[in-house]
Amino acid sequence: MTYFIAQILPYITVTVFIIGVIYRLWRWAASRIVHNITLSPFPQTKTEVAAIYLREIVLFNNVFKFDRPLWVGAWPMHIALLNVIGGHVVGFYFLGKQFVYLGASEALSTYLSNLLGTVFGIILLAGLLYLLYRRIAIDKVRQVSNPSDYLMLLLLISIVSLGNFMRLVPEYGMHYEPVREYFTTLILFQPAAIPEGNPFFILHLLLAQILIMILPFSKLMHLFGMFGMRWIENRIYKEPAPGLPNVDVAAARARGTGLSSVSGSDVA
Amino acid sequence: MPEYKGLKMPAKASVEDMRRIHIEPVPDDQKVEKAIQYLDEMRKKFRSFVLAMESCVKCGLCAENCHTYLGTRDPNNIPTNRAELIRKIYRRYFTLEGRWFGKLVGAEDLNLDIIEQWYSYFYQCNECRRCAHVCPFGIDTCEVTMIGRQILHWLGIVPKLHADVGAAMERTGNHTGLTKPAIVDTLEFLSEEIKDEFGVDVEFPVDKEGADIMYVPSSADFLLNPYTLMGAGMFFTYIGANWTIPSTITEAGNFGLLFDQQHTMRHNFTRLLHAAQKLGVKKIVWGECGHGWRAWKMYLPGMADLPIRWPITHIHDEVAYYIRTNQLKLDPNKIGRPVTLHDPCNYVRACGMAETLRTVIRACVADFREMYPNKENNFCCGGGSAILFDDPEMYQLRIKFSQKKAEQVRATGVGRDGNGILCAPCSICKAQLYPMVEEHQLGVEVKGLIDLVGMALVWK
Repeated sequence: MTYFIAQILPYITVTVFIIGVIYRLWRWAASRIVHNITLSPFPQTKTEVAAIYLREIVLFNNVFKFDRPLWVGAWPMHIALLNVIGGHVVGFYFLGKQFVYLGASEALSTYLSNLLGTVFGIILLAGLLYLLYRRIAIDKVRQVSNPSDYLMLLLLISIVSLGNFMRLVPEYGMHYEPVREYFTTLILFQPAAIPEGNPFFILHLLLAQILIMILPFSKLMHLFGMFGMRWIENRIYKEPAPGLPNVDVAAARARGTGLSSVSGSDVA
Repeated sequence: MPEYKGLKMPAKASVEDMRRIHIEPVPDDQKVEKAIQYLDEMRKKFRSFVLAMESCVKCGLCAENCHTYLGTRDPNNIPTNRAELIRKIYRRYFTLEGRWFGKLVGAEDLNLDIIEQWYSYFYQCNECRRCAHVCPFGIDTCEVTMIGRQILHWLGIVPKLHADVGAAMERTGNHTGLTKPAIVDTLEFLSEEIKDEFGVDVEFPVDKEGADIMYVPSSADFLLNPYTLMGAGMFFTYIGANWTIPSTITEAGNFGLLFDQQHTMRHNFTRLLHAAQKLGVKKIVWGECGHGWRAWKMYLPGMADLPIRWPITHIHDEVAYYIRTNQLKLDPNKIGRPVTLHDPCNYVRACGMAETLRTVIRACVADFREMYPNKENNFCCGGGSAILFDDPEMYQLRIKFSQKKAEQVRATGVGRDGNGILCAPCSICKAQLYPMVEEHQLGVEVKGLIDLVGMALVWK
């Protein structure tokens, strides 16, 4: 079983993920933008368009403006998630010494890597639990939820809890080096067994792979969908120039058009 | 008022009504199969629809931002749930996860009950796009409503109101069934009214070949909102324009946008282009109509079968231009009453006209008070997409849909002394708000924006 999870499944996961995402994006691209459905605010330059994308992606501007309680959970959760994913890549690759390149000593870098991992891991878990609470406790959110919406949150919570557990309980923790070794063998298509038979790590790895495989067939595609939607709606629209043909207001007023002394309408 | 398992729904068009708009209703035993076929065609065509189907995360942000949900607290009026009525069918037939996991991911087989639910809830949506405006991803539930209504139309299920308007438009070139003699008569009457009330001579040239400007008014202006048409006539006369109203299309609206974006909408577009060619005009100016302006401004370029040789602008943009260039003399003190402005959704969210409206209204009235939220964050009047049904139960819904608007108007205080003006520069907004300001006892009179321009013009 461990052999399957660690040495075979990763290849299936990556294949399903890549083919799945391409399939979904192809489906979107195959349909067309039939009508001009430009939506407020009406940007007039490409810079303004870029600003809309940025403030929505980086700050979740609409959520902040129109549903503050949601923002309090969603924004920190997503920022933490981004950092946790980035941390996995960078932390394992540099063995926690990535901050050396920013001028820190090796000891400090490892300390920072650990600290940030712990902090973001906890923020991520707290954010997810808050979102789950919200989905259960608030009527309007419960009314729009499907079973899969809860399952998705539970899956994420499980993965993050396992990760945090390994980080906070040293006897079940994983060191950077063997994990990097393991991933290196995976990438070289000579998958080695996981060195330390840590059941928490294996479960963490399994659930993460399930999440990655589900992503292309779930609402997690919102990651790409938001770009698709904004591409349709937030674009430059130029108004036709105002001003009416053959109209000279000053002359019309000088003639007194409309006043009883002259004929009712202009003679063309 | 048809009853179907407790669903609220407007009176349906009869088979005869549907035939008049060229649709042969699908028999009940084929409806499900046909609906799936039409849905398949739609999802292959419209990316905006596919993205709405596939990238919603169900965060629930849209709920409190939709006035129909705020007014009724009906869970199916939460925008994402309204879309879910189609999304669960879409998942079932067109996605892998839906086919494999069914109910777990919220996928469901289509049946006649669900089709009736579509009819009920897609005609409780005002297509105001506030949900798209607030959605973190910009998911446009209006697109889903429109596609739902399109499929229903092809199945032969359309409210009688919409079907009748479609038939009248084809027969006469306007929604109210006015013939050319009626149009000319009404316009002569309006000339006399202007003479009596404002002391100026205004003529309304009809079908004048060789005119420079073709003005397309909303046909409701002939009957319900005469001051809007009078205001437009006074504006064109004031600036000395060579203008005309075409009798073959005296309709700024386009119900095609609301129930049939294929045949009906294109048919109306063609009618306009034919009229412009026949009269030899140089520019087309649009009257006060929200959904109509969106249709003609945004949809015409992609749907016209003929080259479009005429620039089309809105009368508000033109008035604003002459105000900005100091060519109009307006006296804001002529209207001594407090005024607030309702931003029609199609103007501000779909056409970017928020500032134009303010340029005009500030020049016309002295006591202008904004309501909040305003501009593109504004709430719909509750009549959007012409769900102006008179069936008693639907009328009660309209009162609920306008509840948020009533709260906004009340908060401005313009109606405190019972002499306020609620400026709603859109025919559907006016038709909805005329009765609603009475129902909610707001102490305001509903007027258009061009009405105010006409009143504020200084002729000497």
